[in-house]
Amino acid sequence: MNWIGLQTFIWKDIKRFFRVAIQTLLTPWISATLFIFIFGAVIGQRVGTIEGIPYITFVLPGILMMNVIMSAFSQSSSSLYMHRFTRSIEEILIAPLAHFEMVFGYLSGAVFRGVVVGLGILIVGLTFGAVQMQHVFVFLVYLVAVSAVFGLLGLLVALWANSFEQLTILNTFLITPLSFLGGVFNSISMLPGNLQTIARFNPFFYFIDGIRYSMTGFHDADLLTGGLIIAGLFVILFYLVYYLFKIGWRIRV
Amino acid sequence: MHALEVKNFTKRYGKNLAVDDISFTVEPGEFFGLLGPNGAGKSTTIHAITGIARTSGGMIKVFGTDVESDYRDARRKVGLSPQEFNIDIFEKVRDTLTFVAGFYGMHGVERKKRVEEVIKRFGLEKHADKRFKELSGGLKRRVMLARALVHKPQLLILDEPTAGVDVELRHELWKHLQELNKEGMTIILTSHYLEEVELLCSRIAIINHGKIVKIGSKKDLLKDGKHLEELYLSITQSEDAAPL
Repeated sequence: MNWIGLQTFIWKDIKRFFRVAIQTLLTPWISATLFIFIFGAVIGQRVGTIEGIPYITFVLPGILMMNVIMSAFSQSSSSLYMHRFTRSIEEILIAPLAHFEMVFGYLSGAVFRGVVVGLGILIVGLTFGAVQMQHVFVFLVYLVAVSAVFGLLGLLVALWANSFEQLTILNTFLITPLSFLGGVFNSISMLPGNLQTIARFNPFFYFIDGIRYSMTGFHDADLLTGGLIIAGLFVILFYLVYYLFKIGWRIRV
Repeated sequence: MHALEVKNFTKRYGKNLAVDDISFTVEPGEFFGLLGPNGAGKSTTIHAITGIARTSGGMIKVFGTDVESDYRDARRKVGLSPQEFNIDIFEKVRDTLTFVAGFYGMHGVERKKRVEEVIKRFGLEKHADKRFKELSGGLKRRVMLARALVHKPQLLILDEPTAGVDVELRHELWKHLQELNKEGMTIILTSHYLEEVELLCSRIAIINHGKIVKIGSKKDLLKDGKHLEELYLSITQSEDAAPL
């Protein structure tokens, strides 16, 4: 194991996103602030409570998770794609780093950014008096695990994409719609019967439901099912990304 | 033990055969020139040695270490200065060198000392805190060389190291390379400047259409009083150039 190499890789990736902190940190925090203000403070006053929880407190975990997902995905996908685009991936390929270390390096950057963005939104939530925290450990586990899943998904897309447009396709057509439909702003018990069943096939529902449970104590779904879905996705995606790095798909000529 | 052993190396891109079953060795301490026209297979061979390209067949060893099966150990022994600038252009020179040294396992005082050494060696002191994109073409070339050397490789591979560099700097880089070779470093050089290869290299291979068509010591290749350019043109322009 090349520990120093891996540590350097992670630090380089983290430094890259701090270099453009306005885009990588400030943007999601401002976006979350606006969401919390509009949906929580303004609309929330009319909605009142959901399942006995003030609406602002109910939507905060959803907004937080949505931004964590997007940040983790953007970090790994843009980092790897830019390395491919500028050919600086060659700097990594000729270094004595194992394929596992390369994947872990990119993934660590994504998880770190996801966690930093998530904690920042938590602070924003505190200023609105919207934060409850019932299970800190579960909260941290979800933050890290979901960041890791979307970090891996970002790597997969960065390997596949041949243009910046392709890089954003998944975000536009999958991540954003599924996040919104996964219960960011509502409990799925508020949906009509058939839609409730369909919503349960949306994995984002379990990500949001889990973090909402950790913060408010309320959950729509079986927590074990959610945990297994996240663990299953992580294992499948990690193996797939590792395998693609090993064979050098789209990174070695 | 050879510094580099290439045995029956073949590389295909789809149906296109880029390198066709070539074999050659480079001995420790040699300054070896690899010549050939564009698309002949020079860069592909270099890419396979360094790990940027996959091999389609054959075997490549660097100081006895297989570049595919034992790739991490092999990578430690090689430094590459590529033809194109494959570097994070927003990163400062010192940071780039520090990161690369870290990739190779250097840390703490050792890393800092080594980075300052190469910065000094290539006269980059005044530019070490500038971003790569702010540098002139010549300075960029120096950074590429410094990056290739920061982890003290045993084998240095230079793919067109003086492309786009003015005459003064070219001579300065030659001096650096000759010093490194005198210190015992094995160097492989590809260049379109034949006088550069003639001046620096002790042994030369000419590759054409993916095959090595001539290989030997500079003394043997130029024994009839020919210049390298004449020999090169006679080989590469000859349609019936017989592969070795």
